[in-house]
Amino acid sequence: MYSIETKSLTKSFGDLVAVNDISFSVEKGEIFGFLGPNGAGKSTTMMIFTTLLKPTNGNASVGGFDVIKNPKQVRENIGFVQQETTVDEYLSGRENLLLQAKLNHIPKNEINPRIDEVLDLIELSDKQHEAVVTYSGGMRKRLDIAGGLLHHPKVLFLDEPTVGLDIQTRRKIWQYIKKIHIQFDMTIFLTTHYMEEADNLCDRIGIMDHGKIQVIDTPQNMKNDLGNEIISLVIDNTENFDSFLVELKKIQFIKKINEDNSKLTLFTSNGTEVIPQIFQISSNLGIKINSISLTQPTLDDVFISYTGHEIRDDNSKYNRRHEHAKMKRLRQ
Amino acid sequence: MNTIMYDAYTIFWRELKRYKKSRSGVLIRLIQPAIWIIVVGNIFSETQPLIQSVGFEGEYIEFMAPGVIILTAIFTSIFGGVNTLWDRRYGFMNKALTSPISRSAIAIGKMSAISLIAALQASLIIGIALAIGVTFPNPLMIIPIMGIVILFSLGFSGISVTLAATAKSQETFWGMINLLGMPLFMLSPALFPLELLPDWLAVVAKLNPVTYTILLVRELMTGVSEGGIPILISVGVIFAFVVAMVGIASYVFTREVNKPF
Repeated sequence: MYSIETKSLTKSFGDLVAVNDISFSVEKGEIFGFLGPNGAGKSTTMMIFTTLLKPTNGNASVGGFDVIKNPKQVRENIGFVQQETTVDEYLSGRENLLLQAKLNHIPKNEINPRIDEVLDLIELSDKQHEAVVTYSGGMRKRLDIAGGLLHHPKVLFLDEPTVGLDIQTRRKIWQYIKKIHIQFDMTIFLTTHYMEEADNLCDRIGIMDHGKIQVIDTPQNMKNDLGNEIISLVIDNTENFDSFLVELKKIQFIKKINEDNSKLTLFTSNGTEVIPQIFQISSNLGIKINSISLTQPTLDDVFISYTGHEIRDDNSKYNRRHEHAKMKRLRQ
Repeated sequence: MNTIMYDAYTIFWRELKRYKKSRSGVLIRLIQPAIWIIVVGNIFSETQPLIQSVGFEGEYIEFMAPGVIILTAIFTSIFGGVNTLWDRRYGFMNKALTSPISRSAIAIGKMSAISLIAALQASLIIGIALAIGVTFPNPLMIIPIMGIVILFSLGFSGISVTLAATAKSQETFWGMINLLGMPLFMLSPALFPLELLPDWLAVVAKLNPVTYTILLVRELMTGVSEGGIPILISVGVIFAFVVAMVGIASYVFTREVNKPF
């Protein structure tokens, strides 16, 4: 039984295709991490799953219900914790949860025990009667997460749950997420920019870019696929660069090469044997190596290997007319 | 139906909680109408002969007090929808939209809260009016007057919610509100009797629901009927206005919030 299932999901705004024919499924009880650069289509996908947007094409079901045909049933079965904190500052912590409980039609006699339960879980019981305006950023986030849990949803959506929080708070939030996962047996679907977070929390990860899912696997498998070692080298001159690349690719242990001007990143399974061969090739071609290093791959490397180096949406010039047209389409 | 009422009440409860917690807001909203009734009421006190020429016996300030009560209702309710924009910007709206409550319940809850808040503000202005010497021939009339103010404010909160749902920015919203609020107040017999308006202005004023509300409240407060419009017609116009506005607001709100902000 899948908690989330989607087939040929497409969402376009005019000629901008934000989500391009994606199909995947998330198993019941899984923590699934959704990664991708800014503008990759993660948020749009999540908005479709949470019934905030209708897909242009394809279908998706969440908690066993179709997001287009039965949006109300989907809403009854999901919790959605947004990226920005959405708690009411003027209300107390407890009043915020009471509001959330009422929005989610929790039976009257269950409201108070449930609020006590989640307050206990996120360790905010002693501050519950104070106005949220006095809470720190981390406390607000915890309250927001608690609000998403109150009605014991089948699927919990967390949109970048630790963005803008300090390291201690971030680790604390991870603990809560793990606790929630065990205590309520929920499927958790989260987006994040922090590879460490995905590595730490997720059973499986999907990397999305340009509206497409590039890869889905466990964090461990992804790292293994890159080989267990990474060699980074900076070379001095670009003469004979192409033949250098060709020769490097002939080395049997090298699985993948990323190039960024004079910097090369080689993914390999046997770095200690590869390094002497690199030196051999470079001296034959008269290429000077400025520096060389051997490291273990992190999920960051996996991410970069699938999405490339360039920064998104900041590198193109701001085109007012284009942006305007895009916003207009979004509003239709 | 029951669920819609429950859901609307949830939103209503939240809006009132927020109102209750912002004590400074309660006072700030009183300043403008208080200035109107105290300052303008006294500046124009010499116009008493004008008022008497159409059958009023009392002071000018007693004549214009109903106008200021309605002014309070107009401005409190027409500004009231602005938090719709904040809700959309800061995610509360998405939180409500991904929960099982219906979209129109959100609009109805907001409107009822706004109209009750407007009526509360108006009742504070009635208090100020009483304090500076305005008298009610029949104090029991305050009950139907509050009923009318609540109903009327519901209509104006409909305008506010409609504008807030369509506006994409604070600037557009405030621009529209300013465009509507003051003219609707000025094109009514709030400050001077309908009979004294030039013909063409009187025609415009008779298309304005504010006119009927003020005439009705004034008749209940002072016992003098004016402009030859029967009470039932005024009540009918107010009801029609409210039903139309609440309907339009619920429809527009439901349509607009389904689009990305």
